[in-house]
Amino acid sequence: MTEPQKHQITDADGNVVRDRPWIIRTYSGHSSPKASNELYRSNLAKGQTGLSIAFDLPTQCGYDSDDPIARPEIGKVGVPINSLDDMHILFDEIPIEKMNTSMTINGTAMWLLAMYVALAKERGVDISELTGTTQNDLIKEYLARGTYIFPPEASLRLIAEMYEFCLEEIPSWNASNICSYHLQEAGATPTQELAFALANAISLLDILAERGHFDDDQFERAVGRISFFVNSGIRFVEEMAKMRAFGELWDEYTRDRFDVKNEKYRRFRYGVQVNSLGLTEAQPENNAWRILIETLGVTLSRDARARAIQLPAWNEALSLPRPWDQQWSLRLQQILAYETDLLEYPDLFEGSVVVRSKVDELKREAREEIDKILGMGGVIPSIESGYMKSSLVRSMSERMSAINSGEQIVVGLNKWADGIDSPLLGGDDGGIFKLDESAARNAIDSLNATRAKRDDARATAALDALKSAARSGDSMMSPSIECALARVTTGEWAGALREVFGEYRPATGVDGQKLSLTNERVDGVRRRIDALTERLGHRPRVVIGKPGLDGHSNGAEVIAVSARHVGYDVIYSGIRLSPDEIVQSAVEEGADLIGASILSGSHIELTAQIFERLAEYGASDDIDVFVGGIIPQGDFDKLYSMGAKRIFTPSDYELIEIMESITGVLEERADAAGI
Amino acid sequence: MTSIPDLVERALTLDKYAVSRLIGIFEDRRPDASARRSSVLAELDTRRPDRPLGVILGVTGTPGSGKSSLLSRVAVDLLGSSETLSIAVVAVDPSSQVSGGALLGDRTRMRFVPDERRLFFRSQASDNDLGGLGPTSFQVCRLLVRLFDCVFIETVGIGQSEADIRQLADRVYLVLQPLGGDEVQFLKAGIIEIPDAFVLNKSDEPASDISFHQLQGSMWLARPFDAEFPPVFRTSALTGDGLGELEADMLGALAAAVDSTASAGAAVVAQNLSTREPYFLERWVDDEWGRRGVAFLHDLLGGPDEFLSTVGGFDAALDRFDETFAESLSL
Ligand code: B12
Ligand SMILES: Nc1nc2c(ncn2[C@@H]2O[C@H](COP(=O)(O)OP(=O)(O)OP(=O)(O)O)[C@@H](O)[C@H]2O)c(=O)[nH]1
Ligand SMILES: [Mg+2]
Repeated sequence: MTEPQKHQITDADGNVVRDRPWIIRTYSGHSSPKASNELYRSNLAKGQTGLSIAFDLPTQCGYDSDDPIARPEIGKVGVPINSLDDMHILFDEIPIEKMNTSMTINGTAMWLLAMYVALAKERGVDISELTGTTQNDLIKEYLARGTYIFPPEASLRLIAEMYEFCLEEIPSWNASNICSYHLQEAGATPTQELAFALANAISLLDILAERGHFDDDQFERAVGRISFFVNSGIRFVEEMAKMRAFGELWDEYTRDRFDVKNEKYRRFRYGVQVNSLGLTEAQPENNAWRILIETLGVTLSRDARARAIQLPAWNEALSLPRPWDQQWSLRLQQILAYETDLLEYPDLFEGSVVVRSKVDELKREAREEIDKILGMGGVIPSIESGYMKSSLVRSMSERMSAINSGEQIVVGLNKWADGIDSPLLGGDDGGIFKLDESAARNAIDSLNATRAKRDDARATAALDALKSAARSGDSMMSPSIECALARVTTGEWAGALREVFGEYRPATGVDGQKLSLTNERVDGVRRRIDALTERLGHRPRVVIGKPGLDGHSNGAEVIAVSARHVGYDVIYSGIRLSPDEIVQSAVEEGADLIGASILSGSHIELTAQIFERLAEYGASDDIDVFVGGIIPQGDFDKLYSMGAKRIFTPSDYELIEIMESITGVLEERADAAGI
Repeated sequence: MTSIPDLVERALTLDKYAVSRLIGIFEDRRPDASARRSSVLAELDTRRPDRPLGVILGVTGTPGSGKSSLLSRVAVDLLGSSETLSIAVVAVDPSSQVSGGALLGDRTRMRFVPDERRLFFRSQASDNDLGGLGPTSFQVCRLLVRLFDCVFIETVGIGQSEADIRQLADRVYLVLQPLGGDEVQFLKAGIIEIPDAFVLNKSDEPASDISFHQLQGSMWLARPFDAEFPPVFRTSALTGDGLGELEADMLGALAAAVDSTASAGAAVVAQNLSTREPYFLERWVDDEWGRRGVAFLHDLLGGPDEFLSTVGGFDAALDRFDETFAESLSL
C-alpha cells in the first residue's frame, strides 16, 4: 500500500476516498398539495436527495386560502397548506422518516413544524427520526423577504421556543436557518452579508442564553444546531473568500463569546442558493453560465463547501421554473459532483496568500459592523430603528446606480445587448411556466371539507390553549401541535397569535436615500418636473404601491428613490398593502400617479382591483396607473386594456429612462387638459 | 371637471375624493388659484354658517421622536371616543435640497382604517421652508377647519423658526425622546418656549426616567417666570402606555374651543382664524418675494394688518400684493 499523497483525501483508516457530495435540492412547490406531491416524487426519482418546499404567500403570511387578501395569490408561488389534511396529501407516499425536508417558512414556521410533527404522529413515525429545516429567520424577513407577521420580540420568542423544543425532541431538526441569502438578494455587500447574518445568530444565542431554558451542555448543543443559508454571487473568488470568513468568524464568536468548547458545535454549517438577483430577463440563456460560476464559489474550497445546494434556473427573471428548467439546473449539480474530480481533493486554497489576505479583510470589516450592531443592543433594536434596512436600501441603490452608469457590467443588459434571439424562448409556452388556474378552487374546497368534518369544540379549545400559552409566556409548541391534530387552519393559528402579539410593519429604509447618478439626463428630467410643477400648481406626486402579499421590495424601493431623485414627491408605505389602502393613499394625497410593483404573479387580479377602487372613488380621470415587475409579455394587453399607462419589467433597468417615460405621461395629460 | 359647488357639497359629507380635490385648490400655487379658494370658502361659509371651526393641534418635536407613531394611535383612539368627531391630519416632511422632491414618510406610520370618512390624512412637503410647515400649510388649514372638528399638524422636526406652528395651532405639543444631554441642550436654545404641553415619548426605553427628570429641571431654567409649568406627558407609541392622559388633554382642548365659540357666535369663529392671517401673509410675502417684499409690505402698504383690511381678505391680499409689488418693481 502506498502512502496517500498530500492532494488526496483519506478516511479515518487512512484509505484514499472521495468526498460525499452535498445535498442536491430543487426549491419547488406550486398550485396544490397534490400537484406539488407529484412534482416532489418525480424530482426524487431523478436523483434529487432532499426536499425543499416552497409555500404560497397566504400560507407564509398566515392566511387561509379563502381570506380576501389570499384570493389572488393562492398556489401562485408555492403550495397552499391550510391544515394537516393538506400535509397528508403533500407527503403522500414520501417516507418522511428518511427524508431531509427543508421548508422555506418563517412567519408561520412553528405552525408548519407542528403540522409536520402531527403528520408523523398520525403516521406512527417516531418524531425523533425527522430531519430537516424550518427557515424561521424573521430578522431577514423584516429586512428583505417580507413574510413576517408579529413584532420582533414575539418573533424571536417563537424561534427560541422551537430551539427549546427541537433540541431533545427532534435532535436532527434545524429549528431555524440564519439567512444571508436574502440579504444579498436585497443588495447586501459581502461584508453586510457576513455582519448582518452573524449579528443575527449572535443575538439569537444571546436570547437563548438569557431565557435560561438550557443547561451548559444543552446550550452548547443548541449552538451546534444553528445553521446558515447563504448566497453566492457572480464575483466568485470573493464569494469563496466570504465563505471561509464565515466559517472562521463563527468559530471565533462561538468560542470567545459563548464559550463553546466542543469544536464540532462551532462548525459553520450552511446551505446555499446561488444569486438570482443578477439573473437577467435580457438574453436569459446567459444565466446558465452565471449559475454555473456562482456554484463554483461555494463548492471549490473543501473547507468552506456548502452542505446543501439549490440552484435557480436560466429563466429566473421570466417566471417560475418549469420542470425541465429545474432538471437542467439539477444536472449542473450532478455533473459537478459526479463527473468532475472536484470531490477528490482536499482544500485547494489552503496556504494561498491572496485568499488569506482577502479573507482577513472581509473578517475585519465584518467585525467592525457586528460591533456596531451589538453596540446598538443587537438585531432587534437595529431592526426597529431601521438601521439595517436603510443600509441595505443604500447598497441596492448604489448597485442600481452602478449598473445604470455602466460602471458595473451586466453582459446582455448594459453591454453587448444586441444578440440573436434565444431559441429557448421559442416553444409553445414561450419558455415560461403557466399555472393551473383550478388550484385556487381546489384549495378552498379542501379547506371547507376540513372545516366541515373536524370537531369544532376540539379546535376551539386548542386555539384557546395556544392563546393562553402566548399570553402566559409558556411554550407555544405543544399547543400548536394539538392545534394541528385538531385541524385548526393556518389562518386560525396565525389569527390567534395576531390577537395576542399584534402585527408589525418594519421601516421601509427609503428615507434619505439617493441615487449616485448625476448627469445631463437627470438634470433634464428635473427641469421637466419643475416645469410640470408650474403647470399643475403643485409638484407632481406619485404613490408607489406594493399590493397583495408580495414581499419583493427592491424594485419599489429603487423606483421610489429614483422618483425623488428626479424631483417627484413620493409616497411609499412599504410592502403588503391592500389595493384599497394604496388607492385611498393616492386619493387622499392628491397623487397624480400610482405605480404598482408586482412580482408575485398576481398582477392581473391586483391591477384590476386598483382600477375598481379608483372608479369607486371617482378618481379614475385624475390618477394614472403604471405597473412594474415580473409581467409576462402575454399579459401586457390585458393590463393596457384595464387602463395601465405603462408597463416595466426587469429589462427596463435604466431608471432615468423609466422616469422620463412616466413624466411623459404626465406631460401628455397636462397638454390634453390644456394647462 | 367637477364644479366647486359640487365638490363642496360632497366634501361636507367628508367624501375623500372631494376633500382631496379641495385641498388641491388650497395647495395650488398658481396665481389664479386664489379666486377659486375664495369661492370655495364662500360656498362653505354660506352652506354652513354656524359650524364651529375645527381646532388645530400642532405636533412638533425632534426628528424620529415618534410624532407620526403617536398620531397614528391617537387619531384612531379619538375616533373611537366619539361617534361624530372628525379628524384631519396634515403631516409635513422635508424636501430634498437638490431635486426638490420629498419622500413623504409620515404616512407610513398611519394605520389604515377602511371606509372611514372621519379620518383624513394628507402629507405635505416642506419645500425647504425653515419653519417646519409647508408653504401652503396655512392655506390648507383654512379649508380643513371648516370641514373637520380637529386638525392635527405634524411639523418637520424642529426647525429654526418653529414659531410658525405656534402661530397656526391652537395648542402645541412638543414630542421628545429619551436621549440625554443633547436633547436637553436643545431645549435651552429656546424651543422650550413654544409648546403648551410636552410629550416625552418612548417611555418604554430605559433612559426615559432620567430624561424625564432632566426635562423638568431644564423647564425651570428656561421658563423661570411661568406661574405654572406646562404638563409633561410620558407616552409610548409602542405599548400605548400613557396615551390615555395625552388624549384626555387633547379632548379637553377640543371641548374648550367648542364651548368658547358656542356662546360667542359665528362671527367670532371666523375672526379666530383671520387673526392668524397677518402673520401668514407676511410669511408668504417673505417666501415669494424675500426681504424686499416684506419691506414693501410694511413701508408702503402699511403692514400686513392694514393691507388685509384694505383689500378685504387673505386671498385678495395675495393677489393684490403680487400685482402691486410687481408694478413697483417694473417702475
Ligand atoms: C431578489 C428576488 C427575491 C428577493 C427579494 C428581495 C427584496 N427585498 O426585494 C428574495 C430572495 C427575498 C425573494 C423571495 C421570494 N421570491 Co423572488 N426574486 C427575486 C429576483 C431574483 C429579483 C427581483 C429583483 O429584486 N430585481 C431587481 C429589481 C430592481 O428589479 P424589478 O423588481 O424587476 O424592478 C425593475 C422593473 O421591473 C421595474 N419596476 C418594478 N416595479 C416597478 C414599479 C413601478 C411603479 C415602475 C415605474 C417600475 C417598476 O423597474 C425596476 C428597475 O429596473 C426575481 C427574479 C429576477 N431575476 O427578476 C425573483 C422572483 C421575482 N421571485 C420569485 C418568487 C416566487 C419568490 C418567493 C415568493 C418564493 C417563495 N415561494 O417563497 C419568495 C418570497 C418573497 C415574498 N415575500 O413575496 C419569482 C416570482 C414568480 C412569478 N411572479 O411568477 C421570481 C420571478 C423568481 C422565479 N423565477 O421563480 N426573491
Ligand atoms: N421604542 C419606541 N419606539 C418608538 C416609539 N414611538 C416611535 N418609535 C419608533 O421611533 C421611530 C421614529 O418614529 P416616527 O413616528 O416616524 O417619528 P417621527 O417623530 O414622526 O419622525 P420624523 O417625522 O421622521 O421626524 C420609529 O422607528 C418608531 O417605530 C415608542 O414609543 N417607543
Ligand atoms: Mg413623522
